[in-house]
Amino acid sequence: MSLLSPQAIELINDRCVTKVVATLDEQGTPYAVVSTFLQLGEGGNLVHLELLEKSASNRNLLRSLWFDKKISVTLYAASGQSYVIAGRPVKAHISGPVFRHYYQQVRSTTTDGDLSTVWLIEPEEVTDETYITRKQLEEEQFPFTVHLDRLTV
Amino acid sequence: MSTAAVKPTNRTTVDEVAARYPDVPRLLVIKTDVQRRGVFYSEAALALLDESLHQTTGTHIFGTRDGIIALRPESLLLRDGTSIITTPTPLEENPYLVDVKDGAPWLFDDGLPLEAVDYWPAPDFYSKTSSSGVPMKNIVSARPQRLNIFPYRYCTFWNNNKGCSFCDIVAQLKKGGKELNIPAKLDPREVGEVVGEALKEPGRFSAVFLTSGSIVSGQTPFDDEIDYYIQILQEAGKHFKTRKFPSQIIGTAFTKQQLQRLYNETGLMSYTADIEVLNEAQFDHLCPGKAEWIGYREWKKRLVDAVDVFGPGRVNTGLVAGIELTRPYGFTSEDEALESTLAEAEDLARQGVSTVFIVWSPRPDTPLGDQKNASLDYYIRLARGLHALRVKYRLPIGFDDYRHCGNHPDSDLSRLLPY
Repeated sequence: MSLLSPQAIELINDRCVTKVVATLDEQGTPYAVVSTFLQLGEGGNLVHLELLEKSASNRNLLRSLWFDKKISVTLYAASGQSYVIAGRPVKAHISGPVFRHYYQQVRSTTTDGDLSTVWLIEPEEVTDETYITRKQLEEEQFPFTVHLDRLTV
Repeated sequence: MSTAAVKPTNRTTVDEVAARYPDVPRLLVIKTDVQRRGVFYSEAALALLDESLHQTTGTHIFGTRDGIIALRPESLLLRDGTSIITTPTPLEENPYLVDVKDGAPWLFDDGLPLEAVDYWPAPDFYSKTSSSGVPMKNIVSARPQRLNIFPYRYCTFWNNNKGCSFCDIVAQLKKGGKELNIPAKLDPREVGEVVGEALKEPGRFSAVFLTSGSIVSGQTPFDDEIDYYIQILQEAGKHFKTRKFPSQIIGTAFTKQQLQRLYNETGLMSYTADIEVLNEAQFDHLCPGKAEWIGYREWKKRLVDAVDVFGPGRVNTGLVAGIELTRPYGFTSEDEALESTLAEAEDLARQGVSTVFIVWSPRPDTPLGDQKNASLDYYIRLARGLHALRVKYRLPIGFDDYRHCGNHPDSDLSRLLPY
């Protein structure tokens, strides 16, 4: 069963939603890029298309797959709705029918674009980062963090 | 699982080696060990093979470890996109088992599932025939991202029995010629026709690759080999709008004049001349034809000369790693072999020439066929050592990496480099 809620899936499928993939390099420095082609794949996995072989993200995703490290994907809609999905890259397609399908997608939607790798990312944890939702939770669970001027008459 | 598990042994396991080298991914350790020990396909695994979807064995220039030509998967893909180029091996030699788990092929060792694998996908042109009626896959073959052209399946070093001691190209030709109807020498125009057809498949290929046996004849030695490569590359080049196209040749060590011709008259972008073993005395014994016609020191010099023609990071040499430890001329310790090999590789690297290795797979129809290859530990240390040289001398290896070749554990490590 997919960890992703219908609301999160709706955001993934919405082309207007900003999607950011964050990875770590060898020193543990975060590197976050917008993933224009992020979409839902089979079995509840996320599909991230890396267009460039030597991009920092492509190398970091490989490092994560090789050494079993997590990455994260952030979804942010203009409405303020937002999710952060932590997961692991589990497969890199560079050939075969899956690769070909996404290669054609990239070719048909970019100007002479190329595709290096189709990354499958398995979600492990989903957090609703929508500000209104988080604010409500925070005020319920941590009542001592509120600035008092907000409570004055 | 449908095949009885092979008996457990006392050998060093993948996990032990992976734990010893935490900078090396476990997938790479698995790949290297599968190359080292070979694979055996269960009946269930073979039942998953579908010629319309997968590449099958039969088109390769070299033979298999079990000496059998039969319909089997050409090779395997791991989930990091890396290939395992391996060869079917008899069960009594304790290979990895490819069997079925949850309806998909998996690698098994000692009865335990290790990793899911994919069979190499078949390219579109494999189902077509050329205008002369030859199956196109018998003219040009494929790796997951590379077009392979083996234009001449004979090596003239064997004319006076001086072929390399690990090589079965001529024995395979005799078998392949009879059983597979593969032409010994390809018609360049027909090669061009197949390349054109192959390139119609979107996203499938990112390099054209050429290799054959050495051809000593010509006005100066190997001129005929050069002429033939030029003809083929020019025919292939007709399908590209750019003058140069991503390509690699593994040829003999040519003179600078010959290399200039190869570069100037074709779209070729990189050059490889396999020295096979980085030790002069062993080279003389194990590669007597290369020693007779060129010699170890001249081979190295020509590699360095090639950097002037193709540029740094566009020239390399290959080793058949493990033959440096064979009887009676090899090193008797792996430490000594490693130290010596890496010192020679560094001599080349500082002059712009990269070194890559393949895991030697002893084949029955060769003089070294009854000997064993090196330990897994040795191959991992060699991969780390060669990769470290590329880092030290900042040598890109993009023309011979996991995507374009897939047969070099050391260049797999270089995937993480920004160059």
